[in-house]
Amino acid sequence: MMGTPYPKEQMHRIAYTKLSERQIADKLSTVAVSGPTSASPLSDVFAGKSIRIVTDKGPALAYTFGRANRLSVVENGGGALEAGYGALALSSVAFFSHMIPGTERGYAVVLDQDTNLATVFELWFSGYQDNREVQREIYYGYVEQAGQQAPTARHVTTNRVEGKGFYWKQDNGAETLEFYPTAAYSHFVELSRLGGELGFCGPSDYIKINDDLFIYTRTECEFSGTFTTYVMDLNRVEQIGLRLGFDANDRLEYYVFRGKGEWLGQLAQFEKFGDESGAPVPATAAGQTPAKGARRVYRPLRTMPKLSKTEVDAVVAKKTTAFAAATGPGALMGGNRGPNTDWLAGKTFTLRYDNAPAMEYRFDDAETLNWRKEGDTWTKARYQAWESMPGVILFGHLLEGTPNHDGHSIVVDVHQGLVSCFNGYLNTPYFANEAGVKTLFGVIEMEGLTPPKYRRHYFTQEMVGRAVSQNYAPGLTSMHLYSTPHSLSWIIFTDSGAGGLEWSGPAAYVKIRDGLYFMYWLEEACNGTLGTILVNLHTMRDVGVGYHCGAEGLSMSAVGAHERLAGRFDITRFYQVKA
Amino acid sequence: MTKDTTFTRRSFLKGGAVLAAPLAVAVPAAFMVNDEWKARLARLEDEVAVRELHHAWMRRINTEAGDAATPLFADPEGTCFNQALRSIAPDHAGQPDSIEIAGDGKSAAGWFHCTVEIETAIAQDCTLARMAHAQGGGFVRRTERRVLKVEYLKASGVWAIAKAEFPNGFEPATSGF
Repeated sequence: MMGTPYPKEQMHRIAYTKLSERQIADKLSTVAVSGPTSASPLSDVFAGKSIRIVTDKGPALAYTFGRANRLSVVENGGGALEAGYGALALSSVAFFSHMIPGTERGYAVVLDQDTNLATVFELWFSGYQDNREVQREIYYGYVEQAGQQAPTARHVTTNRVEGKGFYWKQDNGAETLEFYPTAAYSHFVELSRLGGELGFCGPSDYIKINDDLFIYTRTECEFSGTFTTYVMDLNRVEQIGLRLGFDANDRLEYYVFRGKGEWLGQLAQFEKFGDESGAPVPATAAGQTPAKGARRVYRPLRTMPKLSKTEVDAVVAKKTTAFAAATGPGALMGGNRGPNTDWLAGKTFTLRYDNAPAMEYRFDDAETLNWRKEGDTWTKARYQAWESMPGVILFGHLLEGTPNHDGHSIVVDVHQGLVSCFNGYLNTPYFANEAGVKTLFGVIEMEGLTPPKYRRHYFTQEMVGRAVSQNYAPGLTSMHLYSTPHSLSWIIFTDSGAGGLEWSGPAAYVKIRDGLYFMYWLEEACNGTLGTILVNLHTMRDVGVGYHCGAEGLSMSAVGAHERLAGRFDITRFYQVKA
Repeated sequence: MTKDTTFTRRSFLKGGAVLAAPLAVAVPAAFMVNDEWKARLARLEDEVAVRELHHAWMRRINTEAGDAATPLFADPEGTCFNQALRSIAPDHAGQPDSIEIAGDGKSAAGWFHCTVEIETAIAQDCTLARMAHAQGGGFVRRTERRVLKVEYLKASGVWAIAKAEFPNGFEPATSGF
């Protein structure tokens, strides 16, 4: 294949097939007999042995391992079943996986041979409305030892992996960047499979074997439903694990793998010192008994209002709001935006973009402006502005009457005579109410100001790899992880300060000045919002505007947060185009 | 004016002095002292009953056992605080609890200095807020010092809560505990 394997559709845009139980069972029937494939030689650590695994609140599994990767398994004293399996070993840990013939179920088992403790993942398909999404239940236990008492210790969920990031290369050539910025989710960039443009998120488990060895899982919910688990040695930066699921072409992936990686850095954690607990997001609401495999999964596409172009035109006509009162929709996101500036009041200038029509402005006061495309007729609009750094002003307004209901988020640097604009618009290809964005660069033409001829603001990778927390208002704190030059991820904290749910979207970063970055993110296949912020690393405050269209209408609202630096991953080298 | 009902060594000594009085006074006076003692005993028993009722109610609030079987309220609908109230705890830096039994022994009032934890749900009007709620959060909690005033009624020998309020803030609402 020529070139980088960019996908025709990114993961959040793929219309994954709704596989039937029969289709899944048929595809599993072969691998249940053969066991998982492996690019590396399989381990014979279990060959010829018989073990019995006892789990808390879970199955008792009696295994007899034969030759040629065959095993027989007895679940809870039932009948023996034969299956193919694959095993790998890393340090003191032995790992194996097999399916149960005639079912859509299987197991992945992690055994610590030093302690005889075991973690058992029961895996199954067709447990959710989307059959292809792999479900998992985790059981903790031990390998029974004749004549010995059962150990009281267990592997445990943990936050000790939170904040870490690794580059991994599997033995089959698959390369990924994997970030664990929360104790309940993870974020991954498929470098070799998808070209590394965007990062994606999935619910995850983090389990401690010992201070060096940890178990990780990820289910690609909202996407292919593929399940990945591995044991990682944090010091050696090696992994052994399993991938199970159906890819975008509905091909079954069931393989064990071995991998090596590089440590990329460590982000800050925000739990209280001494808190090493894991699984910070309860599987169910308080007082409810979780069903087998239950977990909280963020499924934004399912809840996103999806409007047609006609519907968008109707809701925009019905209600359009720019910078509603402080108690209005989205007000919390602007809770820490700081005071507005009236610097623009009474001013007149033209923003001459290199790649879009020039925009002329007359500012009546601190909240009312008049705009027109050069030479066109004037339109009045409500705006708000903030001076993030002396001479740098961010302001935003809607462009009423434009065919795609545009909104502009603009940064003018009146010291440098430069302007950058994130031009939001609707009527995009997937859902008409989902925002798209064009980035415009140009200069300010204003009395007393001579702009540069060639110099412009420019896209930058200086923010890539950084993590910055944002406190918008009491109870509303998140963290951005700028994981690729073209996407970012946002993390929601729990009450204990642990990272909880996480999601991501396309993004871009523009350098305004040293320590001052103008960036956007698109909440694609989520709720369609365009978020834009001007991040000031000197003051650690961001201001910006959000642009959103939903069933309630079109709105532009203020965004503003107090920030904290949470660390940085060394990852820009993975995004360079090399000769 | 409220009355401090905290038992002190002096209060027991005072009772003891009244109890000893019959040895030195005429019979009619002894009857009078006996009535006074009975009244005081009844008042103390009422205070204990009201205090136990209050503790039961506090346990119900703090464990969110809103459907507990034992009725605590004179009105079957109960006296309810806004569901934003998550817990009430004694304020040991405040004044002692005070329970005052009416002269006829059929009603009472209590004042309890406490700290209340109030939880306010943040509006789900942006992605971050919706995610916070999706993971079981999305609330802002704050703790405030308040005085809880409770009015009690006694019917068929059983005390029940007639009304409860925070006179200096925190409005009663129509649903909750």
